[in-house]
Amino acid sequence: MADVNGNGLSGSPSMLLDGYDASRVYDEVFDADGAVRGAYSRIVERFSELDAAELQRLGELVADEFRRQGITFTVYSEDEGTERIWPMDLFPRLIAAAEWEELARGLAQRVTALNCFLSDLYSGEAAVLADGLVPRWLAVSSRGFERNAVGITVPHGAHCNIAGIDVVRGASGRYQVLEDNLRNPSGISYVAENRAAMAKVCSWLFEDHTVQPTEQYGQMLRSTLESMAPGGADHARLVVLTPGIFNSAYFEHAFLARSMGVELVEGRDLVVEDHTVYSRTIEGLVKVDVIYRRIDDDFLDPVAFRPDSSLGVPGLLGALRAGTVTVCNALGNGVADDKAVYPYVPDLIRYYLGAEPIIDNVTTYTMWDEEQRAEALGRLHELVAKPVGESGGYGVLIGPHASEQELQAARAAITAEPREWIVQELVQLSTLPALAEDRLEPRHLDLRPFVLTAERTEVFPGGLTRVAMRRGSLIVNSSQGGGSKDTWVLAPESP
Amino acid sequence: MILVRHAEALLWAGRYLERAENTSRCLNYAANSITHLRAEEARVESELLVRTLGLTEELQAAGPLESRPQLIAFLLSDSDNPGSVVSSVSAVRENLRSVRDRIPIELWEEANGLYLRFPFLGHANNAPKELHEVLLMVRRACLAVSGVLNEGMRRDEGHALMVVGRMLERSIFTVNLLEASCSDPRGALEASRMLRLTSSTQAYHRQYGNAPDFEIVVRYLLHAADLPRSVRSCLSHAEESLNSLASGASALDRPRRRTALVRSRLEFGDIADGLSSAPVQTLSELALELAALADDVQAGFVPPLALSEIHSQYLRPGTADGAAS
Repeated sequence: MADVNGNGLSGSPSMLLDGYDASRVYDEVFDADGAVRGAYSRIVERFSELDAAELQRLGELVADEFRRQGITFTVYSEDEGTERIWPMDLFPRLIAAAEWEELARGLAQRVTALNCFLSDLYSGEAAVLADGLVPRWLAVSSRGFERNAVGITVPHGAHCNIAGIDVVRGASGRYQVLEDNLRNPSGISYVAENRAAMAKVCSWLFEDHTVQPTEQYGQMLRSTLESMAPGGADHARLVVLTPGIFNSAYFEHAFLARSMGVELVEGRDLVVEDHTVYSRTIEGLVKVDVIYRRIDDDFLDPVAFRPDSSLGVPGLLGALRAGTVTVCNALGNGVADDKAVYPYVPDLIRYYLGAEPIIDNVTTYTMWDEEQRAEALGRLHELVAKPVGESGGYGVLIGPHASEQELQAARAAITAEPREWIVQELVQLSTLPALAEDRLEPRHLDLRPFVLTAERTEVFPGGLTRVAMRRGSLIVNSSQGGGSKDTWVLAPESP
Repeated sequence: MILVRHAEALLWAGRYLERAENTSRCLNYAANSITHLRAEEARVESELLVRTLGLTEELQAAGPLESRPQLIAFLLSDSDNPGSVVSSVSAVRENLRSVRDRIPIELWEEANGLYLRFPFLGHANNAPKELHEVLLMVRRACLAVSGVLNEGMRRDEGHALMVVGRMLERSIFTVNLLEASCSDPRGALEASRMLRLTSSTQAYHRQYGNAPDFEIVVRYLLHAADLPRSVRSCLSHAEESLNSLASGASALDRPRRRTALVRSRLEFGDIADGLSSAPVQTLSELALELAALADDVQAGFVPPLALSEIHSQYLRPGTADGAAS
């Protein structure tokens, strides 16, 4: 166990960090010897001046702030189905400027390659399949592959305009991509609100650092979406399409519309005439150029997809085909963030960009490969099995935490439907201090940075740091008890 | 250009905001005045309050009011009663939530903050002190929302629609109050009470400087140009706001005309004459006029005929009649 109180911290030893054990995995703040990593020295000093009661009081202030503003999310599986206050822990995550620069380059590279893949698949010659890099059967059997999208071209070849790439740090301390989210990645609103709350409640924490701001996201997103308009960016009319106020991410949808200064519409607000999308205003129909949709492909157009969908817009697919409107993200992106396609992404980077991946994948075994399957099933007790069709951490089996019965069931399921599973080496996610009752304890975390693409690809500084609030848990999803942290990307001049 | 759905939500947010304030004012009156009345008098006055608030049908569904606590529960915390304070506040919040991308953050926060006090509202017992505190809280919160609406919101279509909603609801309340008072042969809601229920006592005294006279009070609450709760004043504001809405919204022409007509009848025309000869009939007709005006405004945003013209040429599967999906 690292003696974190023997690190020459100025001020009195922090009771909050007494017994903090940073020796088991890569800790973002303390190295294996218990020494504070450079970027965190002032933050640790600041926190050493606090006691648990004060930290709890500040946490309650943040919760009150979020409650008052209605910064919430909904967990559908709960009986009451009510909104929960967004959980945020006060100890921030810091990313040094050089480290961020490297990470951002890697993210931009990855999203660029994935866009090339989507463009090749839907509006190109599908050369990647013809060349055998990704098996054709695998791509076309993906639930995210959308035949209706074949032949629909998008401006700049940018199928994925907003990506959320989940990255983690394992024992080596190097970032690895855990998952690509290319359809409707959520969480950016919480990035901005976490920062706003931290700035209100813990403004003194910022005094020692120069932190890159987060409030420019709306402007960046608006520029990105405007340049996706079929007739060019000038006077383009954008809307954000939401399923409505009962959707779990409604707060985020309203945030996006407000921060861009555009309308937040529901499907019933839009109508298609002559292959053109209009919104219903009190002055009549007004043409819409770009729809930032926050509903899934299946619900977008009840004529083309699920006929029971009341969320979408009848005829939207026709308008897309006619090229009178752009839907962002494009239809069919699910094929590229299918967990079964994930193992091929490093090869996609080499294939399309002729470069080595800057950020690695987590080592992944494809279950449709007999050799790999045999190896993975033999070591399942030390690996992680993921169903390719699930998200939010649901259905994941963590070998070391599973019972023999659960392992047997997983083996049977994988053998029966190998296409539906991948198995990965267990990454012991890095940790960061988080308040647990009366002290700071290490908690595992990941990071979801957001990448915007139109004419060019930009990475928004920072991202959503999600943290598993239960001791030892590797599940960071908020729907399963995870929390969040403010993520600080430090400016180059910051200490 | 505001979406039809947003227009409707803002209109109703304005109406429910005003309704919450009206109901809390009536509750305050009930808490302070009805306690001093004999049981039968209190029952009559309670019924008149319910009628003034336009909740007669809802009361029939809820059952007879046999005690003051029942009246308070019905008006304060009965979530089945769409005119209760709890229901109104909840409706304000839900409507504003559906347009929170286009209203000031502070407006949403104030409405949400009021809603979050629901557990407090729901569990309030009927002890006068605590009820007073609850009503004070509601009234202050409504004033805070109004303050943000007036001082923090851009004078756009959204603002105009909330004002129209508030003014419609306020004028309907005032006319209902006058009608209930005039039609009650027992004179339970006498002049000073009408003034209290419209927060107009001080203004009346400054204007007339004497003990309230029933007929003068009725005319004052109808015609005064400088009284925020007079029907004329409400209609003038509603007219102004409707006119400020986009000129392209031709479906609003009908409510614009009707508002101007009723306002001018109050200002120059026959309503004053009717009050002298047949006050109850005149007020009943005015109440119907205002109800029709509210319907017109609503129809102006969601015009059924226009909707049938702008339906998608793509039908939802299973819709055989060609109706808009």
